[in-house]
Amino acid sequence: MSSCRSGEDIAAVHQALSLKASDRRPVGRCRSEGPGRLCLDVPLRVQSKLLVHPPYLSTMLRTQLVSTRAAARRLYSSRATQSLFVCARTAARSPAYPTHSSLLQKHGVSLVIRRGYADAKFDRSKPFLNIGTIGHVDHGKTTLTAAITKVLAESGGAKFTDYAEIDKAPEEKARGITINSAHVEYESKNRHYGHIDCPGHADYIKNMITGAASMDGAIIVVSATDGQMPQTREHLLLARQVGIKKLVVFINKVDMIQDPEILDLVDMEIRDLLNTYNFDGENTPIIMGSALAALEGREDAIGKNKILELIDACDHWLEVPPRDLDKPFLMPIEETYSISGRGTVACGRAERGIINKGDEVEILGFGERIKTTVTGIEMFRKELDRGEAGDNMGVLLRGIKRELIQRGQVITAPGTMKSAKKFMAQIYILTKDEGGRYTPFMVNYKPQLFLRTADTTVGFEWPEGTPDPEHKMVMPGDNIEVVCSLYNDLAADVGTRFTLREGGKTVGTGIVTKVLEHARI
Amino acid sequence: MFKFCLQQKAAFRSASLRRYSTQPTGKTPIKLVAELRKLTEVSLAKAREALAASNNDVRAALQWLEKDASVSGAKKAAKLQGRDAREGLIGTSVLSRGTGVGEGPVRGGVRGAMVELNCETDFVARNELFGKLLADISHTAAFISENTSKHSDLSDAFEPLSIELLQDAPLLSSDASEPLRPAKQTVAEALQELVGKVGEKIYLRRALTAVIPSERILAGTAYHLSSYSHGAIRLASQGRISALLLTSSTGPSQKLNQLLSSPDFSKELFAIEDALARQVVGFPTLSIKPSSWCGSDDQLAAALLAQPFMMYSPSNGASVAEFLQQWAKTHKLTIAGPSLAVIPTAVAKWTVGESDNAAVVSVLSKEPGEQLLPSV
Repeated sequence: MSSCRSGEDIAAVHQALSLKASDRRPVGRCRSEGPGRLCLDVPLRVQSKLLVHPPYLSTMLRTQLVSTRAAARRLYSSRATQSLFVCARTAARSPAYPTHSSLLQKHGVSLVIRRGYADAKFDRSKPFLNIGTIGHVDHGKTTLTAAITKVLAESGGAKFTDYAEIDKAPEEKARGITINSAHVEYESKNRHYGHIDCPGHADYIKNMITGAASMDGAIIVVSATDGQMPQTREHLLLARQVGIKKLVVFINKVDMIQDPEILDLVDMEIRDLLNTYNFDGENTPIIMGSALAALEGREDAIGKNKILELIDACDHWLEVPPRDLDKPFLMPIEETYSISGRGTVACGRAERGIINKGDEVEILGFGERIKTTVTGIEMFRKELDRGEAGDNMGVLLRGIKRELIQRGQVITAPGTMKSAKKFMAQIYILTKDEGGRYTPFMVNYKPQLFLRTADTTVGFEWPEGTPDPEHKMVMPGDNIEVVCSLYNDLAADVGTRFTLREGGKTVGTGIVTKVLEHARI
Repeated sequence: MFKFCLQQKAAFRSASLRRYSTQPTGKTPIKLVAELRKLTEVSLAKAREALAASNNDVRAALQWLEKDASVSGAKKAAKLQGRDAREGLIGTSVLSRGTGVGEGPVRGGVRGAMVELNCETDFVARNELFGKLLADISHTAAFISENTSKHSDLSDAFEPLSIELLQDAPLLSSDASEPLRPAKQTVAEALQELVGKVGEKIYLRRALTAVIPSERILAGTAYHLSSYSHGAIRLASQGRISALLLTSSTGPSQKLNQLLSSPDFSKELFAIEDALARQVVGFPTLSIKPSSWCGSDDQLAAALLAQPFMMYSPSNGASVAEFLQQWAKTHKLTIAGPSLAVIPTAVAKWTVGESDNAAVVSVLSKEPGEQLLPSV
């Protein structure tokens, strides 16, 4: 078994691809091949699937959209050849390899990363969390971001990024770049944060659906001079819509307010508003300070100390999403084999969790719900006692005929998942420039839905209460929230990503927001 | 548990209220500021200023704010002048859809407008205040505009409306349930007031009106105005891409009148017109007719008449031109020559934040012997 030679290489890949925290799992086995070259060891059968795998898709998408962004720049090493180095176990005799490579070339992605380009190691010892700032344009989001990096730089937890460096908005907007994700990062005593700014509702939703940006928590920035504004409601609605459950509020510019009672009022109003939008108004930390003071290094009482307090509040109040390893086991079936004398083996890459030899499992999807036991785990032709998230493995299933199971089903820890027949989803429809449709569609549209290794036909319905549903149309470039009815039931949870394809091209990508109906098995 | 939370919440509220009522220190009691903020959504600083200026009387402060709104809003607007505002919404208003609506007189004019209002972030564009103001401005634009042209062929049915003129107009409420009363403020004043509240640059980018007075409509022709807005958030008449579409139906005047007075026919015709407006928005429409019926696919997709009429399911995949011809035939509404009895005559399509030359305004000029259908 080839092992990862250095963990930071994988981390570097992830960082360069700006994958969100929950996607930070090994993309494949990592193996070094020749000096200064990192290869992604992806099994042949996964290669084709990678193209519909949401994080990959989003990376490609984003590289296309944001081709000159810093993250993308890192991808283009100076000596990068225009090819993808996929060293699959069978790469040498892989007929699919040239096609795959040229496809990626078309999208301008070159996954060659030279060792030694990064000036620091990505420390994986601290839990990672993506955090975003949401607020009115003049309330000091950028100043606050700069102040945080300045204050944390003193303790070595960040690299000071000044205002001008963060606020590239005008030029980036001109180039069609709308979100500075993973642009700024910093570390507190016990956490590592990636920081994004959230300049608009539609922009953020699109980036969230495609997987290009994500927020696990948010800092709402409100100026003490103005108090909350009419659009603060929209800020909270966005946070709600993208599934953020906990917020931290920073009341900025308190150096411009002399009357402490005004601050009390701002505090009270914000807590009221938080309650209105179903956040925990009573317990949400509200920190009052001045980002400018912290940035200019004056009045530590409202400057630096408040920034530290804010970071502390983030550390304690915002929750780290569970790591993939800690979640219950899930492996989508890619292939099935029957080995004479041993039984049926299901192969795939474990998406999350850990499996041990002898564990009970459940096979879900396509109308089935089969209970069985794992009698063996095999990886790289060697037998193992335990497999974990990221491993490409085969599991030997007790008493299962090969005909009983098929590609597209999942093997899960019993009782942790259900097969969904109907769910609500947020979907982004790709524009013509992104390779999608150029014509609109109506509710009668039925594309193929690809979810993990499965695909099935999907029908749409508008959520109840949508005015004029039969005439409502969807145009390329739209973000929509629709009810998806699957022709075959598939194991899906809130947060499961999928893509929509039609006639050989990807037309959209989506994320499950609510499961409405489970398969009756 | 829930009850406990409520109690806790109530306790929290009363505690904070008690604090405010027992310590009314300073010039402006904080409780009044809070009250004023609830009523008006003005900024904290402004609320305090208003109370200080009006001797802590909330009602007087409200009046003070009303007077002050446009002044301070104008100041704020001047400050934000140089900023980039490319978000926003486009609003449409159709006051009179045209001939044959319902059971009314068969001869009737057309009156409608389309307005783009810009702001800096789509957070503001999604806000209720923004949508309400845009609806009122669109309504006002449709209401005040006059068609002054002397052209007989209605080639100028869609006319740009001067922004200065619109800004000076009194703002009329689009809400039909509100009692009629003289306008409180002009469009410009209302814009400044909103700038004061949301603190973003907000400006009227462009306005267009579609007016055909009834006296200009010839016998044997009926004009209808339809609209569609895509990406509506609160109101169906507002979106990020909007279109106005003028359709003309021609035929022997007696036959046409008879058809239009039938509710079934009108209903179907309106449904087709609405679908045409959706078609204009949904497809990359640039003109009504293609420059040539033998052009490339892209050229044909940009011309309304050549597009497959996907937005109207009874069309069964026919192109817009083919469908309209067929449909007119089934209703025995035919005219001589290679034209169509029912035809889109003028189209305007806007996208939020687009450059001026990207706006689509296309008018079908009728030249004799013109090819409006693909030659078979």
